[in-house]
Amino acid sequence: MSEVRFVNVSKEFEDDNKGKFTAVNDATFTIEDKEFMVFVGPSGCGKTTSLRMIAGLERQTSGDIYIGDRTVNKAHPKDRDIAMVFQDYALYPHMTIRENMSFGLKNLKRPKEEIEKKVSEAAQILSLENLLDRKPRELSGGQRQRVAVGRAIVRNPKVFLFDEPLSNLDAKLRVQMRMELSELHKRLGATIVYVTHDQVEAMTLGTRIVVMNQGEIQQIDTPEELYKNPKNMFVAGFIGSPPMNFVRGRLDGNIVQTVEHALVVPEDKLLKYAEYQGKEVVLGIRPEDVINIEHLPDAPAQNVIEPVIKIVEHLGSEFLVYFGIGEETIVGKISSDYHMEVFKKHQLYINMEKMTLFDPQTQMRIG
Amino acid sequence: MLASHHSSKMNKKRFTWENTVQFFKDYGWCYAFILVPVILFVLFTVYPLVMAFIYSFQKYSVLGSEWIGLDNYRSLMDSPVFWKAMKNTLIYTVATVPVNILITLFLALMIFPLNNKSQTFFKAAFYLPGVTSGITMSLIWLWIFDPTGAGLLNAVFDFLGLDSVMWLANPDTALFSLILMTYLGAHGAGILLYLAAMGGIPKSLYEAADIDSASWWSKLKNITWPLLKPTTLYLLVMGVIASFQVFEQAYVMTMGGPNLATTTVAYLIYEHAFLSFEFGLAAAESFVLGFIIIIISVIQFKFMSSDIEY
Amino acid sequence: MATNHQQIQLQLDEKKDKQRKIFKIVGLSVIYIVLTIWAILTFVPLIWMFISSIKDTTSITQVPPQLIPDQPTLDAYRRVFDVGGFARWFLNSVIVSTILTISNVVLASLAGYAFAKLKFPGRNTIFWILLGSMMIPGQITLIPLYILIVNTFQMADTYLALVIPTLVTTANIFLARQFMASLPSTLIDAARIDACSEPKIFWKVILPMAKPGLAVLGIFTFVANWNNFFWPFLVTSSNEMRTLQVGLTSFRYQYTADYGAMMAGAVLTAIPMFIVFLALQKYFLKGITIGAVKG
Repeated sequence: MSEVRFVNVSKEFEDDNKGKFTAVNDATFTIEDKEFMVFVGPSGCGKTTSLRMIAGLERQTSGDIYIGDRTVNKAHPKDRDIAMVFQDYALYPHMTIRENMSFGLKNLKRPKEEIEKKVSEAAQILSLENLLDRKPRELSGGQRQRVAVGRAIVRNPKVFLFDEPLSNLDAKLRVQMRMELSELHKRLGATIVYVTHDQVEAMTLGTRIVVMNQGEIQQIDTPEELYKNPKNMFVAGFIGSPPMNFVRGRLDGNIVQTVEHALVVPEDKLLKYAEYQGKEVVLGIRPEDVINIEHLPDAPAQNVIEPVIKIVEHLGSEFLVYFGIGEETIVGKISSDYHMEVFKKHQLYINMEKMTLFDPQTQMRIG
Repeated sequence: MLASHHSSKMNKKRFTWENTVQFFKDYGWCYAFILVPVILFVLFTVYPLVMAFIYSFQKYSVLGSEWIGLDNYRSLMDSPVFWKAMKNTLIYTVATVPVNILITLFLALMIFPLNNKSQTFFKAAFYLPGVTSGITMSLIWLWIFDPTGAGLLNAVFDFLGLDSVMWLANPDTALFSLILMTYLGAHGAGILLYLAAMGGIPKSLYEAADIDSASWWSKLKNITWPLLKPTTLYLLVMGVIASFQVFEQAYVMTMGGPNLATTTVAYLIYEHAFLSFEFGLAAAESFVLGFIIIIISVIQFKFMSSDIEY
Repeated sequence: MATNHQQIQLQLDEKKDKQRKIFKIVGLSVIYIVLTIWAILTFVPLIWMFISSIKDTTSITQVPPQLIPDQPTLDAYRRVFDVGGFARWFLNSVIVSTILTISNVVLASLAGYAFAKLKFPGRNTIFWILLGSMMIPGQITLIPLYILIVNTFQMADTYLALVIPTLVTTANIFLARQFMASLPSTLIDAARIDACSEPKIFWKVILPMAKPGLAVLGIFTFVANWNNFFWPFLVTSSNEMRTLQVGLTSFRYQYTADYGAMMAGAVLTAIPMFIVFLALQKYFLKGITIGAVKG
């Protein structure tokens, strides 16, 4: 069993500039055995601090951390049965790749044969066999990345920790490494905790995702759930690219009345919004739920708006179109089959079947 | 090594055996790494600093010092020799530091546009004299300033048809002679700092200036000089601090003479402390010197510092 | 009409371009000439030292002086060794500078590393106190330090007295902290995960990376102590315990007339530093910028 459990874990820092601030506030969660758990959030949200607390590189101010069945509150990193891959790879520049990969096992005083065996196994998995006697500076970014992973693999740890491991790679390599990491996870059958600021990476890699903001855990869920049922406006705005559009309005009967439009709420949703009748709400619409009516087989009877398009961005198969509702700018992601022109009016259908409503005060999802 | 104190469950305020052990587990090595330097610092900087302060109010004697309050300070304020030394030190500082900074800047500006090889050559050439000691340089210059025609400087004067000068033996020229030798001294370190700073100025600034058709002088005045200000400030502060403590030249070449013409404050402190063993008076003088140095440094920072970031 | 105009413009541009090229060449020549002259001027004292050291006792006082001695002789160098003690002074300087270099490199790098990379209660406070103390002029602490070492510890005329106050200097700790701070922190984290103990991290991970910086620190410390005068001058009284710089000044006051020997002694004192500089030039030229300005 190699689950990782946080119970009421908080971490405060004494910062020279900001004074005392809370990096992680009262976090409680469990990372299941063999799970690929991704921590995602903007910089400074506490995700890296959480990872470093699992690693034992930082100590929590309060709360308990368990790896497997035992608390590791005060355990040294070496006694936690973890391995870590760093953002800048952190390869020792003066050691060869072989020495880099075997350094940890040597420090743990493992027998020589075992070290050699493990290093060559890991090298084989990552196709590094020919590079073992080189120095890190002779390797490309992608190769260094593999060495960093290899160094973690030879430790055969209960838990792998990844701290933004792909952020220093170029876009193409990143996609490739992403797939390799997914495969690696399946092959090793280990628990992986992975930190990234990139929500695409989080969505593609994670079996579950922890979304953090300002030291608070916002939501822990599968990628699908996060996307479909974000708990609050932060998660809704953070997951998905471009982010969800938010439009202020008022719920009147089966209508969300914005400054310009009256949008009709589907019958089946009305029940859960009952409490908010006559109140201010924030309507959340994903960009792909803004649809050019040309794409629809039948012209819809309602929820069609006709804004002036301010900007059209070409993404190949899609357009990103920007238009205003009141003061807010709305972005739609629209198939590029039909030409769309800037500064012209276009008829757009808002798919209210997929709408989300938020409370403007608490920013929480309604219903 | 770990960034926080103990888990709050352990009650971090309480001083227990367990907490102490944990504290040393966490930070023991950190303190071990700085232990010796800190002990040395306390022993050879903090303790002497405190003692110097105490001595400055005493008439020091090995057998038993006598508390005399502000007498040392009073007597040095009344002493014409102290004021003469202060004046000499000020003249020396004003005449050496800014001029040498300008020389340094001038040389650095000329070296900067050269190719790498020439740069390295001139950097090394200007640096090399700097590895000779103050004592060696003072002895050489003592010989160069020799009052007879065998002294190099007087030989040059003879060659130019000028009269020989009693450089160091004449109260009117002695201090000037000490100043003169600094001009031909080593500017290597300052040149390197300026060159490093010049290398750090973004080229785009000069390109933008070129597009604005700025002249060479205007670029120097409006881009180079302001952006070199941190380096200039550093050289200025360091230069002033060093020149306020100038001692070796005065000791080797003139012994503070003739007629106190080259007695600097640092030399006076030496004389009072180690020739006439008036430790208390010397301590008082050293505090006045230190006070002035700190004041001047602060003023320089105030006037020269700028929040340039690039 | 238009083409004619364009042609004139083109010619004008070409002419200006030529002018600019000539201007650049002239400018560069002037720069080389001025720099060379100034470099020679700064070398004059050193050259004069060397020339004077190979003159005999009569030609050295000759008026006007010979710029190139007609009978070069090493006689002055023999006289340096005749007065006694010079070899011993040299040895003392080697011993003292070496001890201080080693102790400063070891102690400053450990402390610099701790201040740059480790977090512990009181770190910033201690560091700022150390840094602030650099503002205090040496004259203030000198007198009590002298009394402490000479009277209290009764250490006068010992190697210990020569080295103990500067076993590690604040300036070196600061310098070490500067280049330690530039090393990536994640390597230290990685080493901790790799089950490395704290001293081993320093030894196996930090030191190999800090070598160039430590070389600079060591070289500067060696040169500074080789050239140091005042403290050795205060705490040594016997001839055997003098360092080179202290011994050299005794030429000034004991053998006033013998400029030849004085210059020969100066040459012998300076030459080791010239050798150090020429052999380790790159460290000198790169090193100075580590600790200064952008601190």
